[in-house]
Amino acid sequence: MEPNARTAETISNLTASDGYEVTAFESLQFTDEIHRLISAPPTDNASSFTALLELPSPQAVELLYSPESSKLIPASPPNVEDFKGNFHFPSNTCLIERDARLSAEVNNSNENEKSKSPESKKLSTNLEKAVKSEPAETESSQPLVSDPTLDKRSIKRKDGENKVKGSTKKSKTAVNESSEDAQKLPYVHVRARRGQATDSHSLAERARREKINARMKLLQELVPGCNKISGTALVLDEIINHVQSLQRKVEFLSMRVAAVNPGIDVNLDSILTSESGSPMDSNFPSLVMPVTWPEVQGNGHRQQYEHQCHFDALQQPVWGRGEVCHNYITPENSLLTYDSSANSATLHANQLKMEL
Amino acid sequence: MDLQNLNPSSLKSRFTARFLRALTEINAPKTISSSSPREIFQRYRRIKVAADKSMAYSVRSRRIWSRATLWRLRTRSRSRRLVSFGRRASVKTRTTASHGKENKEHHGAVLGVQAEELRELVPGGEAMDLCNLLDETAHYIKCLTTQGFCVYMGGLLCEGCC
Repeated sequence: MEPNARTAETISNLTASDGYEVTAFESLQFTDEIHRLISAPPTDNASSFTALLELPSPQAVELLYSPESSKLIPASPPNVEDFKGNFHFPSNTCLIERDARLSAEVNNSNENEKSKSPESKKLSTNLEKAVKSEPAETESSQPLVSDPTLDKRSIKRKDGENKVKGSTKKSKTAVNESSEDAQKLPYVHVRARRGQATDSHSLAERARREKINARMKLLQELVPGCNKISGTALVLDEIINHVQSLQRKVEFLSMRVAAVNPGIDVNLDSILTSESGSPMDSNFPSLVMPVTWPEVQGNGHRQQYEHQCHFDALQQPVWGRGEVCHNYITPENSLLTYDSSANSATLHANQLKMEL
Repeated sequence: MDLQNLNPSSLKSRFTARFLRALTEINAPKTISSSSPREIFQRYRRIKVAADKSMAYSVRSRRIWSRATLWRLRTRSRSRRLVSFGRRASVKTRTTASHGKENKEHHGAVLGVQAEELRELVPGGEAMDLCNLLDETAHYIKCLTTQGFCVYMGGLLCEGCC
Protein backbone atom coordinates (compact mmCIF):
# COMPACT_ATOMS: atom_id res chain seq x y z
CA MET A 1 0.00 0.00 0.00
CA GLU A 2 3.03 2.22 -0.16
CA PRO A 3 2.23 3.81 -3.46
CA ASN A 4 -1.14 4.69 -2.07
CA ALA A 5 0.33 6.36 0.94
CA ARG A 6 2.76 8.26 -1.18
CA THR A 7 0.12 9.38 -3.54
CA ALA A 8 -2.04 10.49 -0.70
CA GLU A 9 0.84 12.43 0.70
CA THR A 10 1.54 14.16 -2.55
CA ILE A 11 -2.11 15.03 -2.87
CA SER A 12 -2.23 16.43 0.61
CA ASN A 13 0.92 18.36 -0.09
CA LEU A 14 -0.58 19.79 -3.16
CA THR A 15 -3.70 20.80 -1.38
CA ALA A 16 -1.72 22.37 1.38
CA SER A 17 0.52 24.35 -0.89
CA ASP A 18 -1.70 25.93 -3.50
CA GLY A 19 -5.35 26.30 -3.51
CA TYR A 20 -6.59 25.32 -6.86
CA GLU A 21 -3.63 26.19 -8.98
CA VAL A 22 -1.38 23.47 -10.09
CA THR A 23 1.99 24.10 -11.51
CA ALA A 24 3.31 21.96 -14.26
CA PHE A 25 5.92 20.48 -12.00
CA GLU A 26 3.43 19.35 -9.45
CA SER A 27 1.21 17.84 -12.03
CA LEU A 28 4.12 15.89 -13.37
CA GLN A 29 4.93 14.69 -9.92
CA PHE A 30 1.43 13.53 -9.48
CA THR A 31 1.36 11.77 -12.79
CA ASP A 32 4.54 9.98 -11.88
CA GLU A 33 2.93 8.77 -8.72
CA ILE A 34 -0.03 7.51 -10.57
CA HIS A 35 2.11 5.84 -13.15
CA ARG A 36 3.97 4.06 -10.41
CA LEU A 37 0.70 3.01 -8.99
CA ILE A 38 -0.36 1.50 -12.26
CA SER A 39 2.84 -0.24 -13.19
CA ALA A 40 3.25 -1.90 -9.81
CA PRO A 41 0.01 -3.74 -9.70
CA PRO A 42 -1.52 -3.88 -6.30
CA THR A 43 -3.75 -6.73 -5.31
CA ASP A 44 -7.04 -5.06 -5.76
CA ASN A 45 -6.79 -2.11 -8.00
CA ALA A 46 -10.33 -1.06 -7.87
CA SER A 47 -10.47 -0.74 -4.13
CA SER A 48 -7.16 1.06 -4.05
CA PHE A 49 -8.45 3.56 -6.52
CA THR A 50 -11.57 4.10 -4.59
CA ALA A 51 -9.54 4.41 -1.46
CA LEU A 52 -7.53 6.95 -3.31
CA LEU A 53 -10.66 8.68 -4.34
CA GLU A 54 -12.30 8.75 -0.99
CA LEU A 55 -9.29 9.84 0.98
CA PRO A 56 -8.48 13.13 -0.58
CA SER A 57 -10.72 16.05 -0.07
CA PRO A 58 -12.73 17.55 -2.87
CA GLN A 59 -9.94 20.02 -3.30
CA ALA A 60 -7.72 17.28 -4.55
CA VAL A 61 -10.34 16.63 -7.13
CA GLU A 62 -10.06 20.12 -8.38
CA LEU A 63 -6.39 19.56 -8.71
CA LEU A 64 -6.99 16.45 -10.68
CA TYR A 65 -9.44 18.33 -12.75
CA SER A 66 -7.38 21.30 -13.66
CA PRO A 67 -4.64 19.53 -15.55
CA GLU A 68 -7.25 17.72 -17.56
CA SER A 69 -9.30 20.70 -18.34
CA SER A 70 -6.20 22.61 -19.17
CA LYS A 71 -5.43 20.04 -21.76
CA LEU A 72 -8.84 19.89 -23.24
CA ILE A 73 -9.92 23.45 -22.95
CA PRO A 74 -6.99 25.62 -23.79
CA ALA A 75 -7.90 28.78 -21.98
CA SER A 76 -10.48 28.43 -19.31
CA PRO A 77 -10.63 27.76 -15.62
CA PRO A 78 -11.70 24.36 -14.49
CA ASN A 79 -15.28 25.19 -14.89
CA VAL A 80 -17.95 22.62 -14.71
CA GLU A 81 -19.83 23.91 -17.68
CA ASP A 82 -16.83 23.89 -19.92
CA PHE A 83 -15.98 20.44 -18.91
CA LYS A 84 -19.47 19.40 -19.71
CA GLY A 85 -19.40 21.15 -23.02
CA ASN A 86 -16.31 19.35 -24.04
CA PHE A 87 -17.91 16.04 -23.56
CA HIS A 88 -20.64 16.89 -25.87
CA PHE A 89 -18.59 16.14 -28.93
CA PRO A 90 -18.90 12.47 -29.58
CA SER A 91 -22.24 10.92 -30.08
CA ASN A 92 -23.73 8.38 -27.76
CA THR A 93 -23.08 5.49 -30.07
CA CYS A 94 -19.37 5.96 -30.31
CA LEU A 95 -19.42 6.56 -26.62
CA ILE A 96 -20.84 3.12 -26.04
CA GLU A 97 -18.45 1.53 -28.47
CA ARG A 98 -15.50 3.11 -26.84
CA ASP A 99 -16.90 2.01 -23.54
CA ALA A 100 -16.64 -1.58 -24.49
CA ARG A 101 -13.18 -1.28 -25.94
CA LEU A 102 -11.62 1.00 -23.44
CA SER A 103 -13.14 -0.65 -20.46
CA ALA A 104 -11.41 -3.80 -21.56
CA GLU A 105 -8.20 -1.84 -21.96
CA VAL A 106 -8.38 -0.17 -18.63
CA ASN A 107 -9.27 -3.35 -16.90
CA ASN A 108 -6.41 -5.12 -18.52
CA SER A 109 -4.06 -2.36 -17.66
CA ASN A 110 -5.19 -2.50 -14.09
CA GLU A 111 -4.84 -6.24 -14.19
CA ASN A 112 -8.05 -6.65 -12.45
CA GLU A 113 -9.25 -9.76 -14.07
CA LYS A 114 -10.38 -11.95 -11.27
CA SER A 115 -13.40 -10.47 -9.69
CA LYS A 116 -14.51 -7.24 -11.11
CA SER A 117 -16.44 -5.63 -8.41
CA PRO A 118 -19.28 -3.45 -9.52
CA GLU A 119 -17.19 -0.53 -8.44
CA SER A 120 -14.40 -1.31 -10.81
CA LYS A 121 -16.83 -1.88 -13.61
CA LYS A 122 -18.47 1.33 -12.75
CA LEU A 123 -15.19 3.14 -12.74
CA SER A 124 -14.22 1.78 -16.08
CA THR A 125 -17.55 2.40 -17.74
CA ASN A 126 -17.91 5.85 -16.31
CA LEU A 127 -14.41 6.69 -17.20
CA GLU A 128 -14.91 5.94 -20.82
CA LYS A 129 -17.53 8.55 -21.17
CA ALA A 130 -14.80 10.97 -20.40
CA VAL A 131 -12.04 9.20 -22.17
CA LYS A 132 -14.00 9.31 -25.37
CA SER A 133 -12.84 12.83 -25.89
CA GLU A 134 -9.29 11.72 -25.53
CA PRO A 135 -9.44 9.09 -28.26
CA ALA A 136 -11.35 11.50 -30.39
CA GLU A 137 -8.50 13.85 -30.29
CA THR A 138 -5.56 11.55 -30.10
CA GLU A 139 -7.12 8.70 -32.04
CA SER A 140 -5.24 6.22 -30.06
CA SER A 141 -7.84 3.58 -30.08
CA GLN A 142 -5.56 0.64 -30.32
CA PRO A 143 -5.63 -1.68 -27.36
CA LEU A 144 -2.36 -0.55 -25.99
CA VAL A 145 -2.00 -2.12 -22.68
CA SER A 146 1.31 -0.63 -21.92
CA ASP A 147 0.75 2.80 -23.28
CA PRO A 148 1.77 5.01 -20.42
CA THR A 149 0.29 8.28 -21.53
CA LEU A 150 -3.07 6.82 -22.33
CA ASP A 151 -3.15 4.94 -19.10
CA LYS A 152 -2.12 7.95 -17.16
CA ARG A 153 -4.66 10.15 -18.77
CA SER A 154 -7.35 7.55 -18.59
CA ILE A 155 -6.80 6.87 -14.96
CA LYS A 156 -6.53 10.52 -14.15
CA ARG A 157 -9.72 11.08 -15.99
CA LYS A 158 -11.25 8.24 -14.07
CA ASP A 159 -10.23 9.82 -10.81
CA GLY A 160 -11.44 13.21 -11.81
CA GLU A 161 -14.70 11.87 -13.04
CA ASN A 162 -15.64 9.75 -10.17
CA LYS A 163 -14.70 12.25 -7.57
CA VAL A 164 -16.62 15.11 -9.06
CA LYS A 165 -19.52 12.85 -9.37
CA GLY A 166 -22.20 14.91 -10.78
CA SER A 167 -20.42 17.75 -12.41
CA THR A 168 -20.22 16.41 -15.91
CA LYS A 169 -22.93 16.35 -18.42
CA LYS A 170 -23.81 12.78 -19.16
CA SER A 171 -25.89 11.07 -21.71
CA LYS A 172 -28.99 9.27 -20.67
CA THR A 173 -27.29 5.91 -20.95
CA ALA A 174 -24.79 6.98 -18.37
CA VAL A 175 -27.57 8.07 -16.10
CA ASN A 176 -29.30 4.76 -16.50
CA GLU A 177 -26.17 2.81 -15.84
CA SER A 178 -25.30 4.79 -12.81
CA SER A 179 -28.77 4.48 -11.41
CA GLU A 180 -28.72 0.74 -11.97
CA ASP A 181 -25.38 0.39 -10.32
CA ALA A 182 -26.44 2.67 -7.56
CA GLN A 183 -28.88 0.07 -6.42
CA LYS A 184 -26.15 -2.52 -6.13
CA LEU A 185 -23.44 -0.39 -4.59
CA PRO A 186 -23.26 0.81 -1.04
CA TYR A 187 -22.47 4.29 -2.29
CA VAL A 188 -25.05 6.02 -4.37
CA HIS A 189 -23.40 7.12 -7.58
CA VAL A 190 -25.85 9.38 -9.23
CA ARG A 191 -25.13 11.40 -12.30
CA ALA A 192 -26.30 14.92 -12.53
CA ARG A 193 -27.83 16.06 -15.72
CA ARG A 194 -26.81 19.20 -17.44
CA GLY A 195 -27.66 22.38 -15.70
CA GLN A 196 -28.45 20.79 -12.36
CA ALA A 197 -26.90 21.26 -8.97
CA THR A 198 -24.22 18.84 -8.05
CA ASP A 199 -23.77 18.75 -4.32
CA SER A 200 -24.53 15.55 -2.53
CA HIS A 201 -27.65 16.85 -0.85
CA SER A 202 -29.41 17.77 -4.03
CA LEU A 203 -28.32 14.53 -5.63
CA ALA A 204 -29.80 12.51 -2.81
CA GLU A 205 -32.92 14.58 -2.96
CA ARG A 206 -33.21 14.04 -6.65
CA ALA A 207 -32.84 10.30 -6.26
CA ARG A 208 -35.53 10.36 -3.61
CA ARG A 209 -37.81 12.42 -5.78
CA GLU A 210 -37.38 10.01 -8.65
CA LYS A 211 -38.32 7.13 -6.41
CA ILE A 212 -41.40 8.97 -5.26
CA ASN A 213 -42.40 9.79 -8.82
CA ALA A 214 -42.06 6.19 -9.87
CA ARG A 215 -44.35 5.09 -7.07
CA MET A 216 -46.82 7.81 -7.89
CA LYS A 217 -47.03 6.44 -11.40
CA LEU A 218 -47.86 3.01 -10.07
CA LEU A 219 -50.56 4.46 -7.87
CA GLN A 220 -51.97 6.36 -10.79
CA GLU A 221 -52.42 3.13 -12.64
CA LEU A 222 -54.10 1.52 -9.67
CA VAL A 223 -56.60 4.23 -9.05
CA PRO A 224 -59.07 4.52 -11.90
CA GLY A 225 -59.27 7.85 -13.56
CA CYS A 226 -55.94 9.12 -12.32
CA ASN A 227 -54.07 8.81 -15.57
CA LYS A 228 -55.54 11.95 -17.01
CA ILE A 229 -54.77 14.10 -14.03
CA SER A 230 -51.48 15.89 -14.03
CA GLY A 231 -49.81 17.18 -10.96
CA THR A 232 -48.95 15.23 -7.89
CA ALA A 233 -51.21 17.12 -5.50
CA LEU A 234 -54.35 16.39 -7.47
CA VAL A 235 -53.35 12.79 -7.98
CA LEU A 236 -52.82 12.41 -4.27
CA ASP A 237 -56.23 13.93 -3.66
CA GLU A 238 -57.74 11.36 -5.96
CA ILE A 239 -55.92 8.57 -4.21
CA ILE A 240 -57.12 9.79 -0.84
CA ASN A 241 -60.67 9.92 -2.08
CA HIS A 242 -60.38 6.45 -3.48
CA VAL A 243 -59.04 5.00 -0.24
CA GLN A 244 -61.78 6.71 1.75
CA SER A 245 -64.46 5.44 -0.57
CA LEU A 246 -63.10 1.91 -0.39
CA GLN A 247 -63.08 1.99 3.38
CA ARG A 248 -66.64 3.27 3.45
CA LYS A 249 -67.72 0.59 1.04
CA VAL A 250 -66.27 -2.11 3.20
CA GLU A 251 -68.04 -0.65 6.19
CA PHE A 252 -71.30 -0.51 4.36
CA LEU A 253 -71.00 -4.02 3.03
CA SER A 254 -70.28 -5.39 6.45
CA MET A 255 -73.32 -3.52 7.70
CA ARG A 256 -75.31 -5.23 5.04
CA VAL A 257 -73.99 -8.57 6.10
CA ALA A 258 -74.93 -7.80 9.67
CA ALA A 259 -78.41 -6.81 8.63
CA VAL A 260 -78.91 -9.91 6.57
CA ASN A 261 -77.57 -12.28 9.13
CA PRO A 262 -80.53 -12.68 11.43
CA GLY A 263 -81.98 -15.27 9.15
CA ILE A 264 -78.77 -17.10 8.39
CA ASP A 265 -78.17 -20.74 8.81
CA VAL A 266 -75.47 -21.46 11.32
CA ASN A 267 -73.59 -24.09 9.43
CA LEU A 268 -71.96 -22.16 6.61
CA ASP A 269 -69.24 -24.65 5.96
CA SER A 270 -71.59 -27.48 5.28
CA ILE A 271 -73.51 -25.32 2.90
CA LEU A 272 -70.37 -24.40 1.06
CA THR A 273 -69.09 -27.89 0.69
CA SER A 274 -72.38 -29.37 -0.40
CA GLU A 275 -73.55 -26.95 -2.99
CA SER A 276 -72.10 -24.35 -5.24
CA GLY A 277 -73.95 -21.19 -6.00
CA SER A 278 -73.93 -21.14 -9.78
CA PRO A 279 -76.02 -18.03 -10.39
CA MET A 280 -73.20 -15.99 -8.92
CA ASP A 281 -70.81 -16.75 -11.74
CA SER A 282 -71.84 -13.72 -13.66
CA ASN A 283 -70.71 -11.45 -10.87
CA PHE A 284 -67.18 -12.64 -11.08
CA PRO A 285 -65.55 -10.72 -13.86
CA SER A 286 -66.67 -7.38 -12.68
CA LEU A 287 -65.77 -5.77 -9.48
CA VAL A 288 -67.73 -2.91 -10.86
CA MET A 289 -70.98 -4.43 -9.89
CA PRO A 290 -70.37 -4.87 -6.21
CA VAL A 291 -68.74 -1.51 -6.14
CA THR A 292 -71.55 0.39 -7.73
CA TRP A 293 -74.45 -1.53 -6.33
CA PRO A 294 -73.96 -0.66 -2.69
CA GLU A 295 -73.88 2.99 -3.47
CA VAL A 296 -77.35 2.97 -4.87
CA GLN A 297 -79.10 1.43 -1.94
CA GLY A 298 -76.62 2.28 0.70
CA ASN A 299 -77.73 5.63 1.87
CA GLY A 300 -81.00 4.60 3.35
CA HIS A 301 -79.58 1.82 5.45
CA ARG A 302 -76.64 3.85 6.49
CA GLN A 303 -78.52 6.74 7.87
CA GLN A 304 -80.72 4.48 9.85
CA TYR A 305 -77.80 2.75 11.44
CA GLU A 306 -75.78 5.82 11.94
CA HIS A 307 -78.38 7.20 14.24
CA GLN A 308 -78.04 4.13 16.33
CA CYS A 309 -74.30 4.39 16.12
CA HIS A 310 -74.23 7.70 17.81
CA PHE A 311 -76.61 6.55 20.47
CA ASP A 312 -75.12 3.22 21.32
CA ALA A 313 -71.47 3.83 20.66
CA LEU A 314 -70.58 4.44 24.23
CA GLN A 315 -72.24 1.45 25.78
CA GLN A 316 -71.52 -1.28 23.37
CA PRO A 317 -67.83 -1.54 22.93
CA VAL A 318 -67.02 -2.42 26.49
CA TRP A 319 -68.40 -5.89 26.53
CA GLY A 320 -68.70 -6.31 22.81
CA ARG A 321 -64.97 -6.24 22.37
CA GLY A 322 -64.38 -8.75 25.07
CA GLU A 323 -66.50 -11.29 23.30
CA VAL A 324 -64.90 -10.49 20.03
CA CYS A 325 -61.49 -11.19 21.41
CA HIS A 326 -62.33 -14.66 22.48
CA ASN A 327 -63.83 -15.35 19.14
CA TYR A 328 -60.78 -14.38 17.21
CA ILE A 329 -58.03 -15.97 19.12
CA THR A 330 -59.50 -19.41 18.78
CA PRO A 331 -60.38 -19.35 15.09
CA GLU A 332 -56.73 -18.89 14.28
CA ASN A 333 -55.83 -22.05 16.14
CA SER A 334 -58.71 -23.92 14.68
CA LEU A 335 -57.77 -22.59 11.29
CA LEU A 336 -54.32 -24.04 11.54
CA THR A 337 -55.53 -27.45 12.56
CA TYR A 338 -58.21 -27.36 9.96
CA ASP A 339 -55.78 -26.58 7.22
CA SER A 340 -53.33 -29.24 8.17
CA SER A 341 -55.85 -31.98 8.55
CA ALA A 342 -58.11 -31.52 5.59
CA ASN A 343 -56.22 -29.76 2.85
CA SER A 344 -58.13 -31.17 -0.02
CA ALA A 345 -61.42 -30.30 1.60
CA THR A 346 -60.20 -26.79 2.20
CA LEU A 347 -59.15 -26.39 -1.39
CA HIS A 348 -62.45 -27.69 -2.59
CA ALA A 349 -64.31 -25.41 -0.28
CA ASN A 350 -62.27 -22.46 -1.48
CA GLN A 351 -62.97 -23.32 -5.05
CA LEU A 352 -66.63 -23.41 -4.41
CA LYS A 353 -66.48 -20.18 -2.51
CA MET A 354 -64.74 -18.57 -5.41
CA GLU A 355 -67.29 -19.80 -7.83
CA LEU A 356 -70.10 -18.26 -5.92
CA MET B 1 -59.82 -14.26 -14.02
CA ASP B 2 -61.53 -17.42 -12.91
CA LEU B 3 -58.28 -19.31 -13.05
CA GLN B 4 -56.65 -16.69 -10.96
CA ASN B 5 -59.30 -16.86 -8.33
CA LEU B 6 -59.10 -20.60 -8.05
CA ASN B 7 -55.61 -20.26 -6.70
CA PRO B 8 -55.92 -21.43 -3.12
CA SER B 9 -53.07 -19.30 -1.88
CA SER B 10 -54.21 -16.05 -3.42
CA LEU B 11 -55.18 -13.14 -1.28
CA LYS B 12 -58.83 -13.55 -2.12
CA SER B 13 -59.11 -17.16 -1.11
CA ARG B 14 -57.10 -16.67 2.06
CA PHE B 15 -59.18 -13.73 3.09
CA THR B 16 -62.47 -15.33 2.22
CA ALA B 17 -61.68 -18.47 4.14
CA ARG B 18 -60.82 -16.57 7.26
CA PHE B 19 -63.67 -14.17 6.95
CA LEU B 20 -66.27 -16.86 6.50
CA ARG B 21 -64.98 -18.72 9.47
CA ALA B 22 -65.15 -15.57 11.52
CA LEU B 23 -68.69 -15.04 10.29
CA THR B 24 -69.73 -18.47 11.46
CA GLU B 25 -68.21 -17.71 14.81
CA ILE B 26 -70.20 -14.53 15.02
CA ASN B 27 -73.41 -16.13 13.99
CA ALA B 28 -73.05 -19.28 16.02
CA PRO B 29 -73.99 -17.93 19.43
CA LYS B 30 -76.97 -16.05 18.09
CA THR B 31 -79.34 -18.63 16.87
CA ILE B 32 -82.36 -16.58 17.83
CA SER B 33 -81.77 -13.26 16.23
CA SER B 34 -83.36 -10.04 17.11
CA SER B 35 -83.46 -7.38 14.50
CA SER B 36 -83.12 -4.46 16.81
CA PRO B 37 -80.78 -1.82 15.50
CA ARG B 38 -78.58 -2.24 18.51
CA GLU B 39 -78.05 -5.90 17.85
CA ILE B 40 -77.44 -5.22 14.24
CA PHE B 41 -74.95 -2.57 15.10
CA GLN B 42 -73.11 -4.88 17.42
CA ARG B 43 -72.95 -7.49 14.78
CA TYR B 44 -71.80 -4.93 12.28
CA ARG B 45 -68.93 -3.94 14.48
CA ARG B 46 -67.90 -7.50 14.92
CA ILE B 47 -68.12 -8.26 11.26
CA LYS B 48 -66.11 -5.21 10.44
CA VAL B 49 -63.44 -6.22 12.90
CA ALA B 50 -63.56 -9.71 11.47
CA ALA B 51 -63.03 -8.36 7.98
CA ASP B 52 -60.14 -6.16 8.99
CA LYS B 53 -58.54 -8.83 11.04
CA SER B 54 -58.97 -11.43 8.33
CA MET B 55 -57.40 -9.15 5.82
CA ALA B 56 -54.49 -8.33 8.10
CA TYR B 57 -53.90 -11.98 8.85
CA SER B 58 -54.03 -12.90 5.21
CA VAL B 59 -51.24 -10.47 4.57
CA ARG B 60 -49.39 -11.60 7.70
CA SER B 61 -46.61 -9.27 8.74
CA ARG B 62 -45.29 -8.59 5.31
CA ARG B 63 -46.68 -5.12 5.24
CA ILE B 64 -46.50 -2.29 7.68
CA TRP B 65 -50.20 -1.55 7.48
CA SER B 66 -51.17 -5.10 8.30
CA ARG B 67 -48.95 -5.14 11.34
CA ALA B 68 -50.37 -1.79 12.40
CA THR B 69 -53.93 -3.04 11.98
CA LEU B 70 -53.31 -6.15 14.02
CA TRP B 71 -51.57 -4.17 16.70
CA ARG B 72 -54.36 -1.65 16.79
CA LEU B 73 -57.02 -4.32 17.10
CA ARG B 74 -55.17 -6.05 19.88
CA THR B 75 -54.49 -2.94 21.88
CA ARG B 76 -58.01 -1.72 21.43
CA SER B 77 -59.35 -4.92 22.84
CA ARG B 78 -56.88 -4.72 25.67
CA SER B 79 -57.66 -1.11 26.34
CA ARG B 80 -61.33 -1.87 26.54
CA ARG B 81 -60.68 -4.39 29.20
CA LEU B 82 -58.34 -2.12 31.09
CA VAL B 83 -60.65 0.87 31.09
CA SER B 84 -61.93 -0.11 34.47
CA PHE B 85 -58.41 -0.37 35.84
CA GLY B 86 -57.24 3.07 34.96
CA ARG B 87 -55.69 5.29 32.40
CA ARG B 88 -53.15 2.89 31.02
CA ALA B 89 -54.88 2.58 27.72
CA SER B 90 -55.18 6.26 27.10
CA VAL B 91 -51.53 6.77 27.97
CA LYS B 92 -50.58 4.13 25.47
CA THR B 93 -52.50 5.71 22.65
CA ARG B 94 -51.18 9.12 23.49
CA THR B 95 -47.57 8.02 23.31
CA THR B 96 -48.05 6.39 19.94
CA ALA B 97 -49.73 9.49 18.57
CA SER B 98 -46.94 11.77 19.70
CA HIS B 99 -44.31 9.44 18.29
CA GLY B 100 -46.12 9.48 15.01
CA LYS B 101 -46.25 13.24 14.91
CA GLU B 102 -42.51 13.53 15.45
CA ASN B 103 -41.89 11.39 12.45
CA LYS B 104 -44.21 13.49 10.42
CA GLU B 105 -42.13 16.55 11.03
CA HIS B 106 -38.94 14.82 10.04
CA HIS B 107 -40.20 13.62 6.69
CA GLY B 108 -41.30 16.93 5.32
CA ALA B 109 -42.40 16.48 1.78
CA VAL B 110 -43.50 18.97 -0.79
CA LEU B 111 -47.02 17.58 -0.65
CA GLY B 112 -47.37 17.83 3.07
CA VAL B 113 -51.11 18.18 3.44
CA GLN B 114 -52.07 15.25 1.29
CA ALA B 115 -49.34 13.13 2.76
CA GLU B 116 -50.73 13.74 6.21
CA GLU B 117 -54.21 12.84 5.12
CA LEU B 118 -52.93 9.68 3.54
CA ARG B 119 -51.10 8.81 6.69
CA GLU B 120 -54.28 9.10 8.64
CA LEU B 121 -56.10 6.83 6.24
CA VAL B 122 -53.58 4.08 5.88
CA PRO B 123 -53.10 2.23 9.15
CA GLY B 124 -49.60 2.62 10.46
CA GLY B 125 -48.92 5.44 8.08
CA GLU B 126 -47.77 7.87 10.70
CA ALA B 127 -44.33 6.39 11.00
CA MET B 128 -43.53 6.10 7.33
CA ASP B 129 -41.71 8.37 4.97
CA LEU B 130 -43.42 9.35 1.77
CA CYS B 131 -41.67 6.73 -0.30
CA ASN B 132 -42.79 3.81 1.81
CA LEU B 133 -46.15 5.42 2.36
CA LEU B 134 -46.89 5.31 -1.33
CA ASP B 135 -45.85 1.67 -1.48
CA GLU B 136 -48.09 0.80 1.41
CA THR B 137 -50.96 2.76 -0.07
CA ALA B 138 -50.76 0.80 -3.28
CA HIS B 139 -50.86 -2.52 -1.49
CA TYR B 140 -53.53 -1.29 0.85
CA ILE B 141 -55.76 -0.23 -2.03
CA LYS B 142 -55.37 -3.62 -3.61
CA CYS B 143 -56.28 -5.36 -0.39
CA LEU B 144 -59.22 -3.07 0.30
CA THR B 145 -60.73 -3.87 -3.05
CA THR B 146 -60.29 -7.57 -2.40
CA GLN B 147 -61.82 -7.19 1.02
CA GLY B 148 -64.80 -5.31 -0.32
CA PHE B 149 -65.37 -7.87 -3.01
CA CYS B 150 -65.22 -10.80 -0.62
CA VAL B 151 -67.44 -9.17 1.99
CA TYR B 152 -69.93 -8.46 -0.73
CA MET B 153 -69.83 -12.04 -1.87
CA GLY B 154 -70.18 -13.18 1.70
CA GLY B 155 -73.19 -10.99 2.08
CA LEU B 156 -74.77 -12.43 -1.01
CA LEU B 157 -74.07 -15.88 0.27
CA CYS B 158 -75.75 -15.12 3.54
CA GLU B 159 -78.67 -13.64 1.71
CA GLY B 160 -78.92 -16.67 -0.46
CA CYS B 161 -79.04 -18.95 2.52
CA CYS B 162 -81.87 -17.35 4.43
